[in-house]
Order: sequence, then structure tokens, then C-alpha cells
Amino acid sequence: MASMNTVLFISFLLFSAGVAGVLVRRNALVILMCVELMLNAANLNLVAFARHAGTVAGQAFALLVMGLAAAEVAIGLALVVALYRRKDTIQVDQINLLRG
Amino acid sequence: MSFAAGLWGTLVRDLPLIYPQLLILVAATVMLWPGDVFVPKGGKGQWAAVTVVVLAAAAFLVSRTPSGMGFSRMYQVDGITRGFQYLCLAAGIITVLLSQLQLNLHKDQSVEYYALILYSVTGMLFLVGASDLVSVYFSLELMALCIYILVAYFREQERSIEAGVKYFLLGAFSSGILLFGISLLFAATGGVTTNLADLNEKLALLPASSNLLVFLGILMVLVGFCFKVAAVPFHMWSPDAYDGAPTAITAFMSMAPKAASLAAFARVFGSGFGGLHAEWTAPLAFVAAASMILGNVAALRQQTMKRLLAYSSIAHVGYMLLGVLSSNVPGGVQAIWLYMLTYLLMQSGAFGIIIYLQGKGEGERIEDFRGLARTRPVLAFAMMVILLSLAGIPPLVGFFSKFYLFKLAIEQGHVTLTVIALLTSAVAAYYYLAVVAAMYFKEPAEGEVKPVSGITSLVVGMSCALVLAGTLFGAYLLDWAGTIL
Repeated sequence: MASMNTVLFISFLLFSAGVAGVLVRRNALVILMCVELMLNAANLNLVAFARHAGTVAGQAFALLVMGLAAAEVAIGLALVVALYRRKDTIQVDQINLLRG
Repeated sequence: MSFAAGLWGTLVRDLPLIYPQLLILVAATVMLWPGDVFVPKGGKGQWAAVTVVVLAAAAFLVSRTPSGMGFSRMYQVDGITRGFQYLCLAAGIITVLLSQLQLNLHKDQSVEYYALILYSVTGMLFLVGASDLVSVYFSLELMALCIYILVAYFREQERSIEAGVKYFLLGAFSSGILLFGISLLFAATGGVTTNLADLNEKLALLPASSNLLVFLGILMVLVGFCFKVAAVPFHMWSPDAYDGAPTAITAFMSMAPKAASLAAFARVFGSGFGGLHAEWTAPLAFVAAASMILGNVAALRQQTMKRLLAYSSIAHVGYMLLGVLSSNVPGGVQAIWLYMLTYLLMQSGAFGIIIYLQGKGEGERIEDFRGLARTRPVLAFAMMVILLSLAGIPPLVGFFSKFYLFKLAIEQGHVTLTVIALLTSAVAAYYYLAVVAAMYFKEPAEGEVKPVSGITSLVVGMSCALVLAGTLFGAYLLDWAGTIL
């Protein structure tokens, strides 16, 4: 079980890095990358524990998550491009039309 | 060969469970291609008519779907699934009807708008029946990804784009948290299962050493769901997204995804983590109380109708979380369903009236309602009925749905929470009545002619009529919900 604890430790590290990035960075693209980091932390858990238990369900789940991450990035980049065309910036602290 | 044969057999057996989703998926895809490419451009709104027909046909198929579990126990059809599926389909139809005025004003009738609504509704139909954390996660994402685009649909407007980007970034962040929570629970079972029923058995038997893992996993799933239903303190995206989105999409967001997410919320926590009730009651009770208090207090100082309804919907989610808290006992989900049904009726009417008064992007301030009783008495009366019902003033139908939820919460011992709910309902009555007072006791602004739309008045009329009809049968509503769910 010691090796499983290492996996959990690394995935927590990855996840925390992603969360910290989302909270600290102001560039929409970097935030998107940090979200990917969070998803990959989850993937690491899924693959490692499925391998540990000798099943494939978790690995299939991880593959599907990768596909979904690609779809999410496609939509995210489209939105960021549209934002850049309107405002000439992708810094999220400069989009503040909506307030209250 | 035997593997393929087995797969085929499973498909043939389980496919009838998802006929409604298949119909919508195929219809949306055919609309995009070859529909939009080869069918000559007809009159405006031909695709709107097609969409309404598809959604109504799907509702008919839902009524014919057999109960059962399929697809390796990932998807389950029961009375509750069907009940929430009706709500999502009805919300889709209402959204398409409400969209017409705004889309025609912007001369922006395109097939993608309707296809995205259809895909999103497909995600919701899967979500309310999902009985495995894997299917919960993916159907939630299918639903959300389409709505991100719809929020930013008027991409020539800065507000719309801004709302879309904000919603997308926070939505992606929250689904990352949800997924990590799921992976932790998967790890806690030793990498064996994500099925809700199995989780409930396995998690209860775990040794004390993995308690932290289970607790963190449940907490992260809770945070993910709270983001999706916009409960305090994970609500910050919702007023901005509601404000910037096209108004019909705002109506859609406040009805359909909310119903579907709450259904999944109740199913995951009721049947998946029901055995660990003690672990998640305290955090969820905190979220519910915070949503009721902050949602209602923040709504007091709003200047525009859309933001007011956004904050009030945060408060309404707080009330519905009382039902999620009791989702492990019979009657909890029924109370949520009933609340969501009446909420859907009232929201569709309220947003219909906002769209009615709205020109190109303006006319949604509360001041615009001044003197409405003078200029448009029927509309003002409908708005008054709907607002009073939203405030939960007896004997309107909104009172009964609140009453059943509060009664259930008291029976489950959440007395403090119910007292908070009652007090905040009084606060809510203040800002709803302020709008009513503006309509009836203030002078109208300088004469401006608003566009009249038959479809919008149809939605408003239906909503007001159903609220009044529900009022007559208020005492029988919960029994009725019990018989059809």
C-alpha cells in the first residue's frame, strides 16, 4: 500500500498546483492549463488504482476524461478567441463589465 | 466473437431505456447536417418549430420508457428519472418559445442555437438517470459545455462574451474538483467501483485509515455540485452569467440545468453516500443556510431584474438543498421535484415578462416596471401573481411547495435551518413586493411602445394560469407527486 500512498501524494501535489494556478494566475489561457492539471491529477488516481486492483474500468474512465478535456479546451479556446477579438485582452481581471 | 455477441445482446436489451435521448441526439445532428446545408432557408424560426416537436416527441417517449437499469448499471430509469426528465424537456420547450422575440430582434435565427439546446437537454436526460459517478460526470459535462456556448451566443456583445468566459472558467474549475473527488472515492474503494449502490455498501465497511480519503472525496463532490447549482459560497459565477447571457438562455439556466443537477445531487448523496449521512450533513446544512441568507440579502440591492432573479434563484436553491439533506428518506426527492416544478412555472412567466419588456438588450431594470399596471394591466397582474408566488405568499402555489419542503426538514430534525428558511423568506417577500409596488403605485415612464409577441404572451399566460390552477389544488400536490414519481 506504500506505493499507493505515493500515488495519492503525487496526485494531491498536482491537484494543488492546478488549484493554486487557477486562483493566482490572471491569464485565461494559463487558467485553462491549470484546469487540465487538475483533471490529470484525477486521471493519475484513476489509472493507478485501477492497475492496483487489476481492473480496466478506471483506465477506460481516464481515457474518456482525456477526450472530454479535449472538448472542453476546444470550447474554452473558442471563447477566449472571441474575448480577445472584442477586448484585445485575455487577462481575466480586466473583464469587469458585469458587477454587483 | 462471443464478446461482440454479448455486447450486441446488451445493446438490444438496454437501448429502449434511452430512446428519448437517442431521438434528440439524432434530430440535433441531422438538423446541423444535412438539415442546415441542404434544406432551403425557409421562414424565420423553422428550426424552432422542429426543436419544439422533437422535445415534445421525446417527452412522449419518456412516458413510454420502461423502468429498469442498464449499461453496466450506469443508467437507471425510475419514476424520479422520468419526473425530472419531463421538467428538463418542458424547460427546453419554454426556452425555445421565449427565444423567438430576442432572436428575431437580433436577426440571429441559426440552427446551431437550437442544436446546442437539444444537445444540452440530452445531457440532462442522461444526468437525472445516472447511477454511476462516471455517467454523472460525463452527462454533467455534456450539459454544461453546451450552455457555456449558449451564454456567449451573442458574441458581438461584450457582456455576453464576458459572461460566457467567466462561466466557462469557473465551470471547468468546479468540474475539475468534482472529478478529483470522484477519483478519491474510487481510490478509497481500492480501485474497484464507482457505482452508487456499490459505493454505498463499500464505503460503510472501510477501515478507519481511509476515513480521510472518503471524507475529502465526498467534500469535493459536494463542492462540485454546489458550483453547478450555484449555492453559496460557490455562487459567484451565477449573477454575472445570468446578467450577460441572452435572456431566454438565462431562463433556461435557471430552470433546466438546475433541475437536472439537483436530481443528480439528491441521487448521488441519497443513494450513493446515504450510509455516510453523518459525514456530509453538516457541510451541506452550512451551504444551504448560507445560500438562503446571502441570496436573499444580496437580492435586496439589485437594480436589474435579471440580477435580482439570479440572487433569488441562489436562495431558492438553498431551500431545495433542504430536500437534498433529506434525500435519504422517502419523500425528499418528491419535495424537490414539486418545488422545481412550481419554480419552473414561475420562472418561465417572470422571464417571459422580462423579455416582453426588453428591447435590444435594454429595458430590464426594475425601474422599467414602474406604472406597468397603468400601461399594461393584464401583464402587470400576471407578474404580480408570479412574484407573490415566488415569495411564497399563501395561498399561491409557491407557498405549498415551500411548505412541503420545510415540513420535511422539520421532520428530519433540521429545526434551526427551517427557522432560517422562514426568516429569509420574509426578506424575500420584501424585494418581490418592491417590484409589485413599482408596478402598481408608481407613475409610468415616458411613453415608449414595446414590441408585442404572441408566443411570449402565450408562455406568460400559461405560466400564470398554471400557478393559479396549482393554487387551487395546493393541498393535494404532494400526494400527486408521490403517485407519479
